[in-house]
Formats: sequence, structure tokens, C-alpha cells
Amino acid sequence: MKQFGKILKFELKYYFKNKVFVGVTIFLVLLIAVVMFLPRIVGMIKDGGEGTDSSPSERSIMLIKAETPREEEAVREAFQAAFTDYDVQTTQDSLSAMKERITKEEAECAFVLEGMASYTYYVDNLSMYDSNMEIADSVLKSMIQTGAMVEAGMTAEQAGEIMSVQITNDAVSLGKDQMQNYWYTYIMIFALYMVILLYGQMIATNVATEKSSRAMELLITSAKPVSMMFGKVIASCLAGLVQLIAVFGSAILFYGMNQEQWNDNPIVASIFDMPVGLLGYMLIFFVLGFFIYAFLYGAIGSTASKLEDINTSVMPVTMLFIIAFMVVMFSLASGDVDNTLMKVCSYIPFTSSMAMFTRIAMSTIAWYEIVISIAILAGSVVGIGVLSAKIYRVGVLLYGTTPKIGSIIKSVWKA
Amino acid sequence: MVLELKDIKKSFGSKQVLSGVSFRAEGGRAFGLLGRNGAGKTTSIRILMNVFPADGGEVLLDGHPIDYGRMKIGYLPEERGLYPKKIIADQLVYFAELKGMSRREAVKAVDHWLERLGMTEYRNKRLDTLSKGNQQKIQLVTALAHNPDIIILDEPFSGLDPVNAMLLKEVVREQIAENKVVLFSSHQMSYIEEFCDSIAILNSGHVVLSGELHDIKRSYVRDRLIVRTEYPDNIQKDFGKDCTVMGDGSLMIRLACAEDKKSVMQRLVDNYDVDGVKVFEPSLNDIFVEYAGDGADKEDIR
Repeated sequence: MKQFGKILKFELKYYFKNKVFVGVTIFLVLLIAVVMFLPRIVGMIKDGGEGTDSSPSERSIMLIKAETPREEEAVREAFQAAFTDYDVQTTQDSLSAMKERITKEEAECAFVLEGMASYTYYVDNLSMYDSNMEIADSVLKSMIQTGAMVEAGMTAEQAGEIMSVQITNDAVSLGKDQMQNYWYTYIMIFALYMVILLYGQMIATNVATEKSSRAMELLITSAKPVSMMFGKVIASCLAGLVQLIAVFGSAILFYGMNQEQWNDNPIVASIFDMPVGLLGYMLIFFVLGFFIYAFLYGAIGSTASKLEDINTSVMPVTMLFIIAFMVVMFSLASGDVDNTLMKVCSYIPFTSSMAMFTRIAMSTIAWYEIVISIAILAGSVVGIGVLSAKIYRVGVLLYGTTPKIGSIIKSVWKA
Repeated sequence: MVLELKDIKKSFGSKQVLSGVSFRAEGGRAFGLLGRNGAGKTTSIRILMNVFPADGGEVLLDGHPIDYGRMKIGYLPEERGLYPKKIIADQLVYFAELKGMSRREAVKAVDHWLERLGMTEYRNKRLDTLSKGNQQKIQLVTALAHNPDIIILDEPFSGLDPVNAMLLKEVVREQIAENKVVLFSSHQMSYIEEFCDSIAILNSGHVVLSGELHDIKRSYVRDRLIVRTEYPDNIQKDFGKDCTVMGDGSLMIRLACAEDKKSVMQRLVDNYDVDGVKVFEPSLNDIFVEYAGDGADKEDIR
């Protein structure tokens, strides 16, 4: 136990003194700070540069050309009301002159109407996010509908009332609201995936480095393999947790500072509206899932004689983990997190950390199902931990070619 | 303090690596464990250090099974290696702590040994900034800092320049004088001969020879004389085919029987201009080749 404490301390120091670890953590925190403060920064730039109301001369020009001046003026008025960011103007220019104005960036875009129900939209570069045509469609549609109603004998006010009828709705979810939960579940699963994969590889490399630098010769005669394995894995788990807490903690902190700016973004608001209980589950599944894979990575690292062998050696474990991740991600995206595959995966220790967590977050799960899943996972952690320590003890003394799985199992069985 | 390995057996898979290895090493004396590559030295050492258990046999200290919790062992492995990218003092203190020292004791011991080996200036440097010889000295600190009762040195002199080799010899002598069990494993026979009072030679997992080096040498029939002289010709003529020239220019005279030793010595001193006459004793190198060489067979042991 004393040895374990010393190994843990030494390994933790390795992470916290590692420039890459510290650098990446600081970078992530800064990145989150930039993202979280972005609306405020953008707002400040707008406030400083343009004032609260942009005057017509500073707005981009939108040109309207129709078949009759009466139509032209009616459309201009309606468009001006819909496109507040634009200065909407009618034009008598020929089509080529109009195109030239757009390419010279004197005007940003133009609508050339053929009747009220058909138009051509001219713009210099059509942006992926250009929604002008949809807005124009709905404005024109309502103009035609209003016109028809007036022609049929209604007053303009009556027609306007009909056209502007608002439907109010409200959804009450008796279980979990998947729309509400989707984004934070997605982010948590992704964080789990990244941390386990990165730290797992780090543990494998760390063990293989000790072996290839022959520091292992001394270590194995100084400390018990179980202490070494657990010391390493728990140290990296703590380091991973610290990094997660730094990232999520700073995200929550910066969000709190900028909450008003984010209020009209339902996705971001839903992410930070996550229930605290779920964070508790996240912690449990993160720690247990992390241990399972970290032990496997550590054991595999001990069988590699050269650092170059690590990438191929860890492939089966990495593949297993990626498959688990894919199953969960596809189920999450499909919305059906309670499909049979997910149910099975919730009890397999290699997949349950992600599968069960997703189901808890996105669906309604009976408490005993959660308890069984956690119990299987925790039991497997102990089993795999002990087995890995045995592989480790055999593996670290094997040099030369990477041994076959069969011969390792045989040696472990004997040991 | 007497360390004893008794009838140790070990196999890996179907390969029998040790088949009943026994030897004993005493405190205050150096013991040499010899053998060719693959003879089973490292496996014996690992069993002695409890890295893995033996299939059979026992490791005894003063007649009782060794208590690894109490007995401290220092080990300088043949395959040297520490953490190349880490600060020297940090890793030395870490290893001393792993061997059971408190942090304060470890720091004190590490500083003492760095000073003793003239390495204090490198205390806060990374290991990979040091020369090979200096890295070796750092490695030695890991074997000695925790003040072990048993010290195992595997090829301790390889890679050391003569000055550093001298320093290491001094350190080893100090450790022996402190009544510790010092176990050498080396292929450099001259060092073993210089330090070790007793030896064991391993060949294919068997101890083919063990005992006091002095007694082993004495056990050879003393029927050959070595003569150092500036004028070998007359002696060669006189002794005919019983006289052969050795590699270093001295002469070896084979006697009809060991009892002739005194009379032949007298005859040489009286009749020829000789600088020295002594009874031939095989070097450890000769003994090693005889017992561990390709032609060696344990059945031939005298």
C-alpha cells in the first residue's frame, strides 16, 4: 500500500509536470473561454462599429425589379419589412447593368420578379447559409394570398389577421426529453471516448517506454506488479478527471458569465441545463469505464518490447472501444437508445460505460437495471485489474518479439 | 549472514532453465556467480529477488526462508536503464522510496551517494544529458542508496573507464567491509578473481563448480612450474619436450609428478639465471573455459 502511494505520486507528477498535458489543458480552457465569450465579443464589436441601429446607407443594398411599378413598390415595402438588414431598393437598370452592380459589390443581391409567383435571385456568391430565398418565398406567398382574399371581398385588415394567425404549442415529456438531453449526452459520451482513448494509449506507451528503457528491470525488483499497475492506472485516471473537470468546469463558469448572450441559443442552453444527477452517473461510468480500458492498455503495453510495436499491439482494444462508441453514437443519433443492441451493451463491461450512461441520460431506466450494470462493471474492473497485473508481471520480463496471446495466457495461468 | 539457494528449479514453458541450482554466499565476502549467456544467472538472480517464484527449492537466509519484507536487496541489473527524460534526483529518490525509505531518508541517502561518486553537480539534470559512464554511476546509486543487506551487481564494471572502475572497486570494498552479502555476476574474470572469495559456475541450469576460489585452484594437481627468465634457451634444451613457451614469454615445465616440485625448483635456481619460479595455478579464466566452455560436460568434473 505504501509502495502504491509512492507510485501514484510519482506517476501523477509525471502528468502534472508534463508540458504537453499542461499545455493541452490550458489550450482547451482558453478555447472554451473564447467560444463562451464569443457572442459578447461579437456584440461589443457591433456596438462599437455600427451602433445599435444601422442607418440605411450602411446596410447592404437589395434590388427589386418587377413587371410593373405598382408591383415593384408593393414588393419593396413588404421585403423591407422582412429584410431589416438590407436597404431594399427598386431599380430600372437593365439586367446586365444590375448584374454588374452586384459583381462590383455596389449591391449585394437582386430579385427579378416575373409576375408575383416567380422570380430569379441574383447574388455574387451564394452562401451555404443564405436564407433570403426562403424569406422571399414566404413574403411573396402571403402577398398573393392576401391579394386573393382582398379580391374575394375581405378587407385588408381581415386578410392580415388571417395571415398572421399564431399557433402556440407546448410539449410535455413524461419521461426524458430527448431533444433537451441529446447535446449534453453527445458531449459527455464524446469526452468519455476521447479521454479513455488518449489516456489508454498514454498508459500503454508509458509502460512500453519503461520496458524499452530497461527501467523496468529495476522497477520489477523494487515494487509489486499490482502496485505498479494500479498506481499507473489510477494516476492517469486522476489526471484525466482533472482535465475533464478543468474543461467542463471552465465551460460552466464561462457560460454562467455569459448566460444572457446565450439565452436565445436553445442547443447551448440545453447543454448547460443538464441535471446534476447525471454528472454523478458520468463520474461513475467514466471512472469504471476508464479503469477497464486503462488496465487492458497497460497489460498490452507490457507485452511490447519496442515502442514501435505499441500501435499494432493496442489495435484490438482500440477497435473494441471504437465499435462500442459507434454503437452508442448511432443509437443516440437514431433516437432509439433502448434498442436490443443497446440493452445488451448496457451489461457488457466493455460497452456499458457508454451504453448505460446514454440510456440513463436519454431514456427512463429502472433503478435495478442501473445497479446491475454498475455492479457488473465494477466486478469486471477488479477482475480485469488483477488479470492485467498478472499479464504485466509476465509481460515486462519478455523481450524480443511480441509474444502471442496464447503463450501469454499460458504463462499467466502458470504464474 | 549466510544467503543460500537450495536446489532451485525453474522452467519457462517446456524449457527447463534451472535444474537444482544451489550455492551459498556469506556476509563480508564477495561471491561470484559465473556462467555463459543463457546459463541461468539472471533467472537465479530474479528468483533470489522474488521477481517470480521458483518451481522448487528454497532461498534461505541464515537457515530460514528469506523475509523479503525485512531484507533489503540492492540490484544493479546488467541491462542498465532508468527514466532517460526525468530529473536524476527525482528518480533516485523514487527508487529509494520504493525500497522502503521515507522521503527524507531517501533524499539524504541519494545526496550522500551522489557526492560519494562525484555526481552532485548532475543532481538536477535529466539522465539522458549524461555520458554512458556517468549514467552507470547513477544506476549504481539505485542499488546502494537504500543501504541494502544483500547487493547484487550484474556486470558492474562494463562501460566504466579505469578511474571510475577504481572508484567502484573502492565502493564495493566498503560494502563488503560492512559485512554485506555482495554477489557479483560478470564475464570479466579478472574482476571476479580480484574480489571474490567463492564462486559458482552455472552451465545450462546446473551448478558445475562451486566453492572457495582458493581451494578450487589448489585442487588442480600442482605438477607444472612457471619460470620467468631472460635466457630461456638453455632451460628449453635441458628439459626438452617437458618445457613449453607460454604466450607471455615465460616457460612452463611439466613435472613427472607433483613431488618433484621442490627438487626441480632448486635445480632451476642453482643452474640457470631465472627471475622467478612458481607453481602453476590455473586462472579463473582457464577454469571457466574448462567448466563452461563448449567442450565442458558436467560428467567430466573432477
